[in-house]
Amino acid sequence: MEELILKLKKEIIEVLNLEDIKPEDIDDNAPLFGEGLALDSIDALELIVLMEKNYGIKIKDPNEGKEIFKSVTVMAEYIDKHRTK
Amino acid sequence: MVVKISDNILSPLGSTTADNYLAVKSGRSALMLHESDNPAVAPYYASLVPEDMLTVEGDYSKFERMCIQSIEAALQQSTIDIASPRVLFIVSTTKGNVHLLAKGAGEGRILLGETAKAIATHFGNEVEPVVVSNACISGLCAQIEAMRLIECGQYDNVVVVGADVQSPFIISGFQSLKALSDGACRPFDAERRGLNLGEAAATIIYGRKEKAEVGEWVIRSGAVRNDANHISGPSRTGEGSYLALRKVLEDVDVNDIAFVNAHGTATLYNDEMESIAIERAGLVDVPVGSLKGYYGHTMGAAGILETLISMRAVEDRTVLGTRGFNTLGVSHPIRVQKENGITDKSTFIKLISGFGGCNAAAAFNYVN
Amino acid sequence: MINHWVKIEKDKVVVDGKQIEIELSESESLLNTIYKNKIGDYPKFYKMDPLCKLGFVASELLLDAEGRREEEWGEKRGVVLFNASSSLADDRNYQKTIEGDDVFPSPSLFVYTLPNVVTGEICIRNHYYGESNFMVLRGLDVEKMSQILNATFADTCTESLVTGWVDCQSEKEYSALMFIVERGSFDEAELSKL
Repeated sequence: MEELILKLKKEIIEVLNLEDIKPEDIDDNAPLFGEGLALDSIDALELIVLMEKNYGIKIKDPNEGKEIFKSVTVMAEYIDKHRTK
Repeated sequence: MVVKISDNILSPLGSTTADNYLAVKSGRSALMLHESDNPAVAPYYASLVPEDMLTVEGDYSKFERMCIQSIEAALQQSTIDIASPRVLFIVSTTKGNVHLLAKGAGEGRILLGETAKAIATHFGNEVEPVVVSNACISGLCAQIEAMRLIECGQYDNVVVVGADVQSPFIISGFQSLKALSDGACRPFDAERRGLNLGEAAATIIYGRKEKAEVGEWVIRSGAVRNDANHISGPSRTGEGSYLALRKVLEDVDVNDIAFVNAHGTATLYNDEMESIAIERAGLVDVPVGSLKGYYGHTMGAAGILETLISMRAVEDRTVLGTRGFNTLGVSHPIRVQKENGITDKSTFIKLISGFGGCNAAAAFNYVN
Repeated sequence: MINHWVKIEKDKVVVDGKQIEIELSESESLLNTIYKNKIGDYPKFYKMDPLCKLGFVASELLLDAEGRREEEWGEKRGVVLFNASSSLADDRNYQKTIEGDDVFPSPSLFVYTLPNVVTGEICIRNHYYGESNFMVLRGLDVEKMSQILNATFADTCTESLVTGWVDCQSEKEYSALMFIVERGSFDEAELSKL
């Protein structure tokens, strides 16, 4: 799981262009949205693309995404359970 | 003052403004399910102009053929000298010939200025054309620009044409934003689930008059304002739309307003935002309508097409119903017009908003 | 009177007629370098497409030259920009995400496929609620731009405009000429000389 979390953080930094942020700056359990990384609705949609592109997980409803993107840990657990690639 | 000289709408519902108005009044819509052979595009609901409606020949794209056909029809009802150096073409579009990118184009008519030049040149007009590309509000901005340039004496006439053609580029993009409804769109409704895309070209020719005569349309005032909030999400306070409305209402008596023709795309956030702006502007007692249930979102054409249908409605003493609307689904108590109704008022407000946080409003007055 | 103006071309930056020294490196683009050295407090910059980056950097240098003021402009300042390439640089980037075997349309690239988004970015950064508009011409046409700028002041709320030419064909080919115009003082001849 730790490996997946680190990989995920690197992918998030890359697809969301978080230039000034390093993997260790992202708290495993802190909310991805709201304060902190200052992500917005477009970032959430881009994370949906990431889930499908890298892990074969399709998320149809953006509201579903809200639950999954609660934190990097929640995201990693979801991926671990549902990934098809 | 600046008056409308002539006009046209070319859409799946007809190739004249009159046909379009009658279709809308009778509740027709061209929204239907389409499929694409492009793997980037999932099946989608849209209102598309069929090839067999187009009559223009020559080395032109679908976008250009639609614009030229619409302008030709508008010109037939007027006597202006289209080739005069006192006549300016303003083209309103968001993506023009963007489909050419798939073929690797990097210059020529993929550039909006070049496609506008080709259109103006078709009519023998040599004045450098202007393209307004201000997202979804382009069509209203182009009219406001025309009004100002005529008022300050720069040109005698301005031909404003707006159009967009749907392509995998645009459809896949809106799908990636999860903004499209999987059925016909439902503006302001509690069950609304997103917008539909549409194709159309619409033309309005403006000119100057000392005094408008009975039966003429005057573009009274217009304003453009930014939300300064987010590049794709509408303001939670309806800031830009409210400010644009407030500015336009300086010149208009609220009691003279027949209706507000809103943007009403049927996305959750747009319609909610407009309800806030309309309430803040003190227009809760004025009927509000959206034409997206008939045409979908025709992008560069929308501001012009929806202005023209609204003009016909006022001439016909009608407040058009909002196709797809059933139960109010926005938090502010605006008066969304469900079925066609009647009015004896002669002014309407066009309201519109778009990506980049832009918003515009304009007031139009029928002399009777 | 045009009191403040910024010109950005390839590897040259000029503010109010004076060239700014920028230390260029192999690994960093000019716009990223200016952002890091002169701005630095707006991480959203890295999410922007090439056209917005260009317009954003130019506007920041321009507004620094003008001197930031305490009270907000609100509705009194508009942003009206022109170019020839629309959002072509980002259009190309988005197009790549819908071509080939692996098709994953990118929402964050798609939102920038409208040229007026750059006016929105400048309004957001500076809390400008005034008019925002974007127009495309075949080239930097001083006469046409002047006609439109003069006409824009028909809106009685508009006291000044951040305006000019912001054209971006690709990450490497771009040019900007941005300036501030105050109500009643715009002179076409002055613009021709910049």
